[in-house]
Amino acid sequence: MKLFIGQILPYFTVTIFILGMIYRLGRWAGAQIVHNITLSPWPQTKGQAALRVGTEAFLFRNLFIYDKALWAGALLMHFALLNVLIGHLVGFAFFGTQFALIPGLGITTELSKAMSDCFGSIFGIVLFVTLLYLLYRRLAKEAAKLVTKPSDNLWLLYLLVLVGIGNIMRFVPNYHIDYVLVHDYVTALILFCPVVHMELLNNGFFLVHLLLVQILLIVFPFSKLMHVFGMFAERYIVNRVYHDPAPGLPNVDVSAARQAELGIPDGILQGRGYK
Amino acid sequence: MPEYKGMVQPARASITELRKIHIEPVPDELKPGKAVEYLDQLRKKFRSFVLAMESCTKCGLCAENCHTYLGTRDPNNIPTNRAELIRKIYKRYFTLEGRWFGKLVGAEDISLDVLEQWYSYFYQCSQCRRCAHVCPFGIDTCEVTFIGRQLLHWLGITPKLHSTTGAAMEKTGNHSALPKPGIVDTLEFMSEEIRDEFGVEVEFPVDKPGADIMYIPSSADFLLNPYTLMGAGMFFAYIGANWTIPSTVTEAGNFGFLFDQYSTQRGNVMRLLNAAQELGVKKIVWGECGHGWRAAKMYIPTLADRPLRWPITHIHDEVANLIRNKELKLDPLQNSKPVTLHDPCNYVRACGLNENMRVIMNACVTDFREMNPHGADNFCCGGGAAILFDDPEMYQRRIMFSKKKAEQVRATGVGEDGDGILCAPCSICKAQLYPMVEEHNLGVEVKGLIDLVGRSLVWK
Repeated sequence: MKLFIGQILPYFTVTIFILGMIYRLGRWAGAQIVHNITLSPWPQTKGQAALRVGTEAFLFRNLFIYDKALWAGALLMHFALLNVLIGHLVGFAFFGTQFALIPGLGITTELSKAMSDCFGSIFGIVLFVTLLYLLYRRLAKEAAKLVTKPSDNLWLLYLLVLVGIGNIMRFVPNYHIDYVLVHDYVTALILFCPVVHMELLNNGFFLVHLLLVQILLIVFPFSKLMHVFGMFAERYIVNRVYHDPAPGLPNVDVSAARQAELGIPDGILQGRGYK
Repeated sequence: MPEYKGMVQPARASITELRKIHIEPVPDELKPGKAVEYLDQLRKKFRSFVLAMESCTKCGLCAENCHTYLGTRDPNNIPTNRAELIRKIYKRYFTLEGRWFGKLVGAEDISLDVLEQWYSYFYQCSQCRRCAHVCPFGIDTCEVTFIGRQLLHWLGITPKLHSTTGAAMEKTGNHSALPKPGIVDTLEFMSEEIRDEFGVEVEFPVDKPGADIMYIPSSADFLLNPYTLMGAGMFFAYIGANWTIPSTVTEAGNFGFLFDQYSTQRGNVMRLLNAAQELGVKKIVWGECGHGWRAAKMYIPTLADRPLRWPITHIHDEVANLIRNKELKLDPLQNSKPVTLHDPCNYVRACGLNENMRVIMNACVTDFREMNPHGADNFCCGGGAAILFDDPEMYQRRIMFSKKKAEQVRATGVGEDGDGILCAPCSICKAQLYPMVEEHNLGVEVKGLIDLVGRSLVWK
């Protein structure tokens, strides 16, 4: 089991993930933007278009305007998720000392480690709670219930289990894992060195966490989770710069027409005597 | 066939009617297979469709923002569920998750029943794009129902209304099947009406060689909305334009956009360009028609088979431009009844006419009251995409679809004294709202925007 999940599977995971991403993105790119379907009012510059897409991507603009509760839940969930992902990367790379590396802030290594722990704990909990809210929403809110398929709920459950195990390793001292162990494990994997003997893989929670992450990555390119990229691809079609053709009618001189009293029966040009 | 297994459906075109628009219906037993084949072709072409199929997370935000769901509470009228009717087939045949985990992701085998579902629900969608406007990702259900309707059309499942309108356009150059003598007569009659009512001389030149401006009216303006065409005529006469109406294209609409974007829509586009070339005009100005304006403004550039030599603008753009330049003298007192503006979907979410309509409105009425919501946020009239079916069941649906609009109009209070004006500057909106303001007892009269302009022009 340790051999399979810890040593062999990761290479398959990375390969399938990369090939899968190329397949899915290539599939989107293969179809054309046939007609101009940009949504008006249009951005007038590329900057405005980027701002529009950016506010949707990072602040969830439309959710804020049309559904505050979903906005709060979704934004917090994604923000926490983003931080958890980044936290994993920098945590394992710098052992929690990452904040001390930022010049000019005067953060000590000890403080940085404490901050790292603190952020990790907060976002771990926020992520779990907001996922729970999103699941609750799907089960309780009429409109959400009507559009939900079993896989939508299963994904939320899956993430809850994955995050839940992560939180157990963070909060239950017996199962806590030191950054260094993971750092060494990942380094060994990258260098194609054997890892099966490693202490880390004896932690059952870690092994399950690692397995779930890998399944997630394998399925990711073929699943609804691709919406993170789909969003940008879709907005690239509907939020485009468009400039109206200039108004103005050829050979029209309104003041001359009015002076000539065009259309007025007693006028100079069309005086047909009708009153 | 007004109902199929509990689903309402518009009456269908007969084989004869389908042949008039060059479609040979696929036999029933072959339909499901052909549907998958056509779907495969279309998905490989339209990225907007692929992304609508593959990016939705089912957050459900679109539900309460679609007037068809608000009016009927039919779950299949939730935009994402409407798309799901085709997505379940798409998943089953074109995605790994659908092939391997069909039940979990809601994939389904193709069948005649599914096609009947498409026919029912894609023709309840008014393609108003409010879901795209609201969707956090911008997913446009319009792109899904366009493809769905196209596919059904190829199979030989097309509403009678759409196919006969398409055929009429091919035969006469307008949707109302008006021949040239009828057009000329009607326009002469309008000149007389204008002389009697407004005391001014306005001619409607037809096929005038050497005209600078080609005006494309909605054919409904000849019959149902005469004041819109009269308003346009008065406007052109007032500014002294050298303009004309081409007898070969007396139609601002393009139903091809709504059921057959390949053949019918393109045919209409080429017909327009031919007319512009024959008359040697310098500019094309479009009349009041929502879907038609979108089809013209946004689709002609990609549908024209020749380089486009004429700038095309909307009459609202031109009127607003002259108002901004202070060249038009308008007397708002001529329109002193309370007015509210229904924003045609295609104007505000696809063609950017939002501000110009308000420039005009503020210049020619005294008591303008905005609806809530308005502009790009406004709701559809319930008849968009020409779902103006008169079969009793579909008509009932239209009443439901306009429920939200009725609430909005009522909330403005314009109809409280029974003499309000509901300005709806689009032929489909007008055709939908004429009966609907009666059904909902709104106390308003439906008018176009150019109607109000014509009425308020100060000639002397």
